[in-house]
Amino acid sequence: MKARRTFPGVGTVVVLLVAWELIARARQNVYLPPVSTIAATFAHEWFSPQFGEQAIPSLIRMFVGYLIASALGIVVGVLIGASRPLYRLVDPFLQFLRAIPPTAIIPVGILLIGIGDTMKILVIAFGAFWPILVNAADGARAVTSERLDTARIFGLSPLETLVSVTFPSALPGIFAGLRTGLSIAFIMIVVSEMIGSTNGLGYYILQAQRTFAIPEMYGGIVLLAILGYALNTGFLAVEHRVLAWHHGQTARPT
Amino acid sequence: MNAPGERLLDVNGLQKRYTSSGTLAIENVTLDVRRCEFVSIVGPSGCGKTTLLKTICGLLHPTGGSVVLDGNRVTTPPPEMVLVFQDYARSLFPWLTVAGNIAFPLKKKLAPAQRARAVDDALAAVGLTKFAKHYPWQLSGGMQQRVAIARAVAFQPEILLLDEPFASVDALTRAELEDLTLRLRAELGITMLLVTHDIDEAVYLSDRVFVLSPPPSVVVREFAIPLATPRDQERTRSEARFLELRNEIHHLIGRPRETAAAAGAPAPASAPPAGVRAEPAR
Repeated sequence: MKARRTFPGVGTVVVLLVAWELIARARQNVYLPPVSTIAATFAHEWFSPQFGEQAIPSLIRMFVGYLIASALGIVVGVLIGASRPLYRLVDPFLQFLRAIPPTAIIPVGILLIGIGDTMKILVIAFGAFWPILVNAADGARAVTSERLDTARIFGLSPLETLVSVTFPSALPGIFAGLRTGLSIAFIMIVVSEMIGSTNGLGYYILQAQRTFAIPEMYGGIVLLAILGYALNTGFLAVEHRVLAWHHGQTARPT
Repeated sequence: MNAPGERLLDVNGLQKRYTSSGTLAIENVTLDVRRCEFVSIVGPSGCGKTTLLKTICGLLHPTGGSVVLDGNRVTTPPPEMVLVFQDYARSLFPWLTVAGNIAFPLKKKLAPAQRARAVDDALAAVGLTKFAKHYPWQLSGGMQQRVAIARAVAFQPEILLLDEPFASVDALTRAELEDLTLRLRAELGITMLLVTHDIDEAVYLSDRVFVLSPPPSVVVREFAIPLATPRDQERTRSEARFLELRNEIHHLIGRPRETAAAAGAPAPASAPPAGVRAEPAR
């Protein structure tokens, strides 16, 4: 069943790759190497210690930044969403800050912190923080008044209500924010490494381009695509488990 | 001390004005509920019935009058009183299983072993033992409301407040839930205070019925329901006395406030208990 669904998709990829290969061979353009060349370069570049030198630092920075953004975004977001006066107070401000394209904050980060790992981690965290915060707040606001009243009737304290009623109610929103945050973190790591770095995938791709190592450049992009795809797939698997109740509930007409 | 028939809940001159809008939802409601009694409050749609229940159970603060439960004035929701909402889908926790929902309020109250037993007992009482591991949204509406009722009775309140609990289910399920509620009252000795717009339901279930006016609400009249117990959907509903009572209440509810109060003046066939608090305070 699943194989039948994925098969046409795989077919599309194969057709596109073959087309690229044929066009590239016919055109003989150095900037557009054939797929086979890119694949060979990819294998030799990345099935090597290079993966540890370039890809691992990127992934670590991204995860640390993303973790900071998630922890802060969820806690602050749920708190803001749970308190109507607080939400009204900070919402316009949040919407404004959230409108800043996160990449625009990188020059500020370089200015204040320099070009080290701390800067990259912080700009990644900054970028991922806003969608997580705003969605967590919206999720927390979606808790039904009946559930809050139920918690009060059964004698739960405000903190207990926040943890065991508001937080689970906010989970669908939190996950929507986490997903957006993850893709922004991924963008931020590449851009921050292109602007100021001595290693990492963003640095590698830009270096390859500057030294006319064209298949290497494409190979780096392919690696990013694979990592991004893997991260998203992993994320969806976690979401599927944690939000099984939500998907089950919304799949049914009420 | 806990003898049936003794006063359990006293609502005295309750008034509720919304501070935000200034709307007077409840003008003056006085009623009482005795231990193990089944009392219903009937009123036209939008007569502030939900507001009344929420104020009685301490979720809302009254702007006048008082609620006294078992001698103690209610200011916050007391553990002896549990409210069951009309909209089960919005009050149950969809991330918890049926058993998880029932266990949820017991976390602070009972040790794990006792809790598991209380959950099993509540599930058995509403006939949902086989569905303990299901999620509420996997069940029909009637079953979900049974989960909400089980969650409420597992908490072992003295009195259950029911806010139109059967309004969102079909007629057959509704009759089933009505009888389940009557059975729970008999088996567990829980006092019931029901709010509904369904006159037949109120008469069928209750020992006494209070009729509310359109907002701002006052009690227009109190009816004793001297129908034989245990009640039976077919037999009770076809009794002449049942029809008389429902028609009388129906007649009363259809009228504007002043004439309704006047029409209520002569006592019904069975004289209401002494001290009817029927007249709205002027």
